[in-house]
Amino acid sequence: MTRRTVLSVACAMLMASAALPAAAQTGGDAITVVLPEQPGNLEPCGSIMTNVGQILNQNVTEPLTVIDPENGTPRPKLATSWERVDDTTWRFRLRDGVKFHDGADFDAEAAAFSIRRMTSGAFTCNNIAKFGSAKLTVTPVDKSTLEIRTETAEPILPALLSVAMMVSPKTPADRAVNDPVGTGPYELETFTPQTVVLEPFDGYWGETPDIAKATYVWRAESSLRAAMVQTGEAQLTPAIAIQDATDPETDFSYLNSETTAIRIDTGKAPLDDVRVRKALNLAIDWQGMAELFGDDVLRASQMVVPGINGHNASVEPWTYDPDRAAKLLEEARADGVPVGTEIKLIGRNGIYPNGNEALEAMMTMWEAVGFNIDLTMLDVADWTRYLQKPFPQERGPTLLQIMHDNNKGDAAFTIPIFYHSSGQYATFEDPKLDARIDEALDLTDEARTKAFQEILAEVHDGIAVDIPMFHMIGYTRVGPGLDWRPNLTTNSEIPLAEIRLKK
Amino acid sequence: MFGYLGKRALHSVVSVLGLLVLVFFLTRLTGDPSYLFLPLDATPQAREAFSRLHGFDQPLYVQFFAYLGDLLHLDFGESLRQNRSAMEVALEAFPQTLKLAVLAMTFAFALALVVGSLAAARPGSPFDRFASLVSLAGASAPDFWVAIVGILVFAVSLDLLPTSGTGSAAHWIMPVAVLMLRPFGLLVQVVRGTMIGALSSPYVKTARAKGVGRRKIIFSHALRNSLLPVVTVAGDLATSLVNGAVVVETVFGWPGIGKLMIDAIIQRDFAVVQSTVLVTATAIFLLNIAIDILYAVLDPRIRYQTS
Repeated sequence: MTRRTVLSVACAMLMASAALPAAAQTGGDAITVVLPEQPGNLEPCGSIMTNVGQILNQNVTEPLTVIDPENGTPRPKLATSWERVDDTTWRFRLRDGVKFHDGADFDAEAAAFSIRRMTSGAFTCNNIAKFGSAKLTVTPVDKSTLEIRTETAEPILPALLSVAMMVSPKTPADRAVNDPVGTGPYELETFTPQTVVLEPFDGYWGETPDIAKATYVWRAESSLRAAMVQTGEAQLTPAIAIQDATDPETDFSYLNSETTAIRIDTGKAPLDDVRVRKALNLAIDWQGMAELFGDDVLRASQMVVPGINGHNASVEPWTYDPDRAAKLLEEARADGVPVGTEIKLIGRNGIYPNGNEALEAMMTMWEAVGFNIDLTMLDVADWTRYLQKPFPQERGPTLLQIMHDNNKGDAAFTIPIFYHSSGQYATFEDPKLDARIDEALDLTDEARTKAFQEILAEVHDGIAVDIPMFHMIGYTRVGPGLDWRPNLTTNSEIPLAEIRLKK
Repeated sequence: MFGYLGKRALHSVVSVLGLLVLVFFLTRLTGDPSYLFLPLDATPQAREAFSRLHGFDQPLYVQFFAYLGDLLHLDFGESLRQNRSAMEVALEAFPQTLKLAVLAMTFAFALALVVGSLAAARPGSPFDRFASLVSLAGASAPDFWVAIVGILVFAVSLDLLPTSGTGSAAHWIMPVAVLMLRPFGLLVQVVRGTMIGALSSPYVKTARAKGVGRRKIIFSHALRNSLLPVVTVAGDLATSLVNGAVVVETVFGWPGIGKLMIDAIIQRDFAVVQSTVLVTATAIFLLNIAIDILYAVLDPRIRYQTS
């Protein structure tokens, strides 16, 4: 090979490389969405998992109801209205004229099939987790009416059904699939290890969306995803890191429904003393801590974010008062509480950006007021052993780094698991509080909201069973050609039909 | 020669089987996959149902014999996460890594031979010092950092290459360049060292005395005799490329087996872990056999011994 040949080949490669990226870009009404994670599968029954839900929910598959991100209430989708017949029976009126992508009719039989498929246990269905132990009996009354009975009263069944995705009756009932067929505005074109492609469904019952084709790709690196939107290789990417959200024209922050906190193991001394738990809350310099979480982060006083039914806006977060914290500790010590006992602070690697640094800072602040803290960072599988019952034997007093996500519209998805004695994450046992929670779960409307708010106030001001930190902020980069803003539900869905093209 | 290769192949099969048994038990020691597959707020009943459905509630030895029975029918299990055959998933990803690794290794090897030989021809010259600097930097720079800087420079600032992904020839340039850096850096050092030794050996002096040209002495006489240690190191580097590919595949969104293996380990997708180990171990054993054959081709003494 002569020198000239080598140079010619090199030049040709360079020119080809310069031309190809432009050719690979999408444009006009076709967009590329770059997600942080590869979806392992496309089973609609697992769409509460972020990487599946962001592709399927509201695009390929639709539920009977959707949660309004503004106020957390269920709104009509494939069900147009609903009524509670009695304590354990709900009746849903279904939308007429809806078809699945394979041509099958959406009716009461099809809706019953989808719900039975979800609850059958024939395969692993993550979405059923939202229903807890609720058992559903589904009966089509007529073509457009569906009746659902529950064993015990279920006042928020319409909200719960927002996770039940309707799939074609031709879908296998006994195994998970990767080729979902729903009623949504888009149908699945291809699913490969590199991409998922969605194209509009001609027979959609609603308005024709602006976006004519959506290609999903995935890159783990936040800076890379941000760069892809910057260069025009992609038009939208959710969940970029704070440090990559540098362009106010394209980077939008949103309350992402997650709340960070430290769960206090109230079953072990000295954490069984309320003064000690309050001292833990008072010893943290929250203003300093906020620097680790970003300017737009919202200080939390409870585990339920604003916009979710039951959030109590009148509960004030704990303020930084190290003197009062030290005084409370001294009082407890004087009463024989072993405040010098070593407390294990358990963190989870990668739980959120700067999560490790946050725990190191908190440990230092707690030790400054007289606590004896030992920090341990665990991977998710080991960490989960401390999160859920049965807790490890001989665990000693522990403080656990947690992050809780509730975008399903109701505090019922938070309060029982954290504060009821039978709750999976609960370390606190108080029959009186249990009774209040049970009572609240059976209520509806304003009475329900008020009861949840009172419980959250008591949890914070009275028994101080945890250390709420921040309601977290997510950042999404949206290309300049698109008119769309992220919201509370963006962690679980990115509805393509709501994305408009800028003229 | 064929007898030797037959023995090597038999040893390889036994080793792969041993590895599979080891991987089976090691993965099971990591705990219950339901904690990672089900949402955090899944009920204990849901966890029990999951374990029952996938046989994780059975004693370990029962699971093991079931696994062996399935292996006899070439059933490698189903990916918990992907709803399809674990071997299908592994075999789909493996060629992507293989192509990347072959390209990276070929370029690294070829470039290192040229650069290392030229550097050895004039030890201490400006070119030698520059080559040492570049090769040491290449061998030591973290893949992750180089990849991100490469994206910022060539994709974001200069708009010459795509940031990531697959599809066109341009998509290959940065992943291959990043992946070849370490082997290139190390091989330049090895080539340079062995070539300096070869160039001062008696047969090179004899050739020089006979009036053989400089280029011919370097590339025909000295290089051929220096290749054996280079092939040894290159073989080791090639087998380690699967690990190196994890970073490159993660950053550039390359659908290869390196990232698949790491993800499967983290997610406790046991069948995929086993399948990826089986595929990569088989490939590494085949590569080692190929290197043995190459030894024999390069060095007649080895050929005679093995025959």
